[in-house]
Amino acid sequence: MAQVTNPDESLRVVPAPASRAPGDPTLIVGKGSATTVGEEQAAPVTARIEWLDGEHAILAEEPSAGAGPDPIRTRVMLGPVRRRTSDGIVIREVVVDGWHVEVELELELRASLRDRARRGVPAIGPGGPIEILAQLPGRIVGLSVGPGDAVVAGQQLLVIEAMKMHNELRAPRAATVERVAVAVGDGVELGDLLVVLR
Amino acid sequence: MQVVAELNDSRPFSRVLVANRGEIAVRIIRACRELGMDSVAVYSDPDRHAGHVRAADVAVRLGPAPASQSYLAANAIVEAALATGAQAIHPGYGFLAERASFAAAVESAGLTFVGPDSRTIAAIGDKLAGRRIARSVDVPVVPGTLEPAAVSRPEALAGIIAAAEEIGYPLLVKAAAGGGGRGMRRVGRSEDLAVALLAASEEAQSAFGDGSVYLEREIRPARHIEVQLLGDAAGRVVALGERDCSIQRRHQKLVEEAPAVGLSEAGRKDLHAMAVRIASAVGLTNAATAEFLYGPDGSFWFLEVNARIQVEHGVTELVSGLDIVHEQFWLAAGAPLSAGAISAAERAASPGGHAIEVRISLEDPARAFTPLAGRVGRFRMAAGPGVRVDTALEPGERVPPDYDPLVAKLMVHAADRPAAIDRLRRALDETEIDGVQTTLPFHRFVAASAAFRAGDLSTDFVETYWDGPMARRAAVHQALLAAGLAAFESIPTPALLADQPAGLGWPAAARAEAIDRWPR
Repeated sequence: MAQVTNPDESLRVVPAPASRAPGDPTLIVGKGSATTVGEEQAAPVTARIEWLDGEHAILAEEPSAGAGPDPIRTRVMLGPVRRRTSDGIVIREVVVDGWHVEVELELELRASLRDRARRGVPAIGPGGPIEILAQLPGRIVGLSVGPGDAVVAGQQLLVIEAMKMHNELRAPRAATVERVAVAVGDGVELGDLLVVLR
Repeated sequence: MQVVAELNDSRPFSRVLVANRGEIAVRIIRACRELGMDSVAVYSDPDRHAGHVRAADVAVRLGPAPASQSYLAANAIVEAALATGAQAIHPGYGFLAERASFAAAVESAGLTFVGPDSRTIAAIGDKLAGRRIARSVDVPVVPGTLEPAAVSRPEALAGIIAAAEEIGYPLLVKAAAGGGGRGMRRVGRSEDLAVALLAASEEAQSAFGDGSVYLEREIRPARHIEVQLLGDAAGRVVALGERDCSIQRRHQKLVEEAPAVGLSEAGRKDLHAMAVRIASAVGLTNAATAEFLYGPDGSFWFLEVNARIQVEHGVTELVSGLDIVHEQFWLAAGAPLSAGAISAAERAASPGGHAIEVRISLEDPARAFTPLAGRVGRFRMAAGPGVRVDTALEPGERVPPDYDPLVAKLMVHAADRPAAIDRLRRALDETEIDGVQTTLPFHRFVAASAAFRAGDLSTDFVETYWDGPMARRAAVHQALLAAGLAAFESIPTPALLADQPAGLGWPAAARAEAIDRWPR
């Protein structure tokens, strides 16, 4: 699905997990226009891609009503397709204004079917486990809790040294430490599991 | 001057070991090559194929990734110099550059340390000693303590707290051996002082092997302005000009420029003279930088002397026309200050032209500039008129998590500041990196910022003007939109494949992907 052949189809486009941050939008993109999920009342954005070479293009967005006559033209770099998952998701990289964003694209029809299949599965509520992952690569230099410890919101869990800076990781809410997956002296990579709270 | 006669029409040394990595090692190796000297690179295991190793004439393995077993392994480095027949060691910045014990070890092995001598490093590398020296030559210092705080003795804490009350809050706890914001804590109220002292001391101990800390009043808003100094063995010291390095995060610089905007010629002369007085008082030889805070009332406060080449030395080189690393080598070999250095110093208070540098690092500007590591994909650096790029990185290379995440310094030079900013914007448009997040979005913001253009600089610039999460959100929206729309368009053949036999669309696209996919 590097290319959609049926112009009536639309794509669901989200940042890939490696690039995702809380509050990031989900876009439904068709040929020449897009809407942001959760903002259905808003008018769809009209936009087009003007290719320069095989990886650079101008994104030309028609201004929203009253914002002036000229389209907003932004230079984008579209990287190669990095990965295709077995369930039909394509991941490619886009660079806009120096921001590196890994993007997931999936046919909207397929994505909505999957959503429907998942409905009914209980969500992870406030009492569910919280996995504390390494937000930066480094070395564990301090561990303040052990399994079974009760922690309050904001309490220090551990200290990661990265680039010789000590970075404290704190509990996001009151919880019990279920598991400590690292020891002092361990090297950790971005996204490694550190602590599980419940 | 016997020494001078010997040096004429010759080279400072025949072979030099560069005890560093990354862009600064490559920059020093370039100077070696220009001066006709062999260069010896040293490397840790993850740097086996790094740019500085490629650039050198000889390469010596130091050890595994941790700096303590590689780039901080002083004995191994001196041994490598002796084994390869190097006559001198250039430490670059960071790592061993300001460790007096290393300079002393180099000297006692019969080698030349390219930098201030070990006694000078000890005298001014200690920030507290630097403060005392500055005061002795009537240079204003930031109010604070002049002796190390006794962190480990709880009974001495009362004295420190009393000193803190006198200085006033908010204040900074700083590492005596520090630099780059390490071992530094901001304290807003007396209740937090004890914890901050301990934390700063521990961090300083781990980063510098010296846990001494002291207190300093926080001066805000302020600009950070520093003076580039050169000194020779005969005791002559000159200032080559100043740099404004106000745009920082976590006390680490992001953008630097020369000269500092808004200073008069007389103001420049005063500032340069203060820096020269401090350097002369300690008998500075080779290159160093005196750092000052510039208050909104136009007063300068001395901060510290960095007895080494600075990351941002390049902007002074662009404005002065002098190659500071060349000068370092000649000075280390015993030559007096060169005619070029002396004439550059004479012009320093009325500089022609303007230079700006941005530090491109693997950091996330939406998450408080968190350092990152990883493999870069495309890595295309700007070129063209008035552009200089210092880097050791190539496309597809991995940036290890073990060291500083700086990957490139982009510098521009133009006739005046507005033209330099225009050129910076152009150069940033040409700069393309993917595969990893870098500080580029922030630099693009600065170059386009009205506040920056107006010279509204302070160490609060990032806090005041930069909303990383908001800037990122706007870009993410456009990235999603572009990727979605592109899936409906046929993709032109990438330039790399244009000469290949024409095929159907799909096979061509598949080939493009196969060729284009970076190993991960």
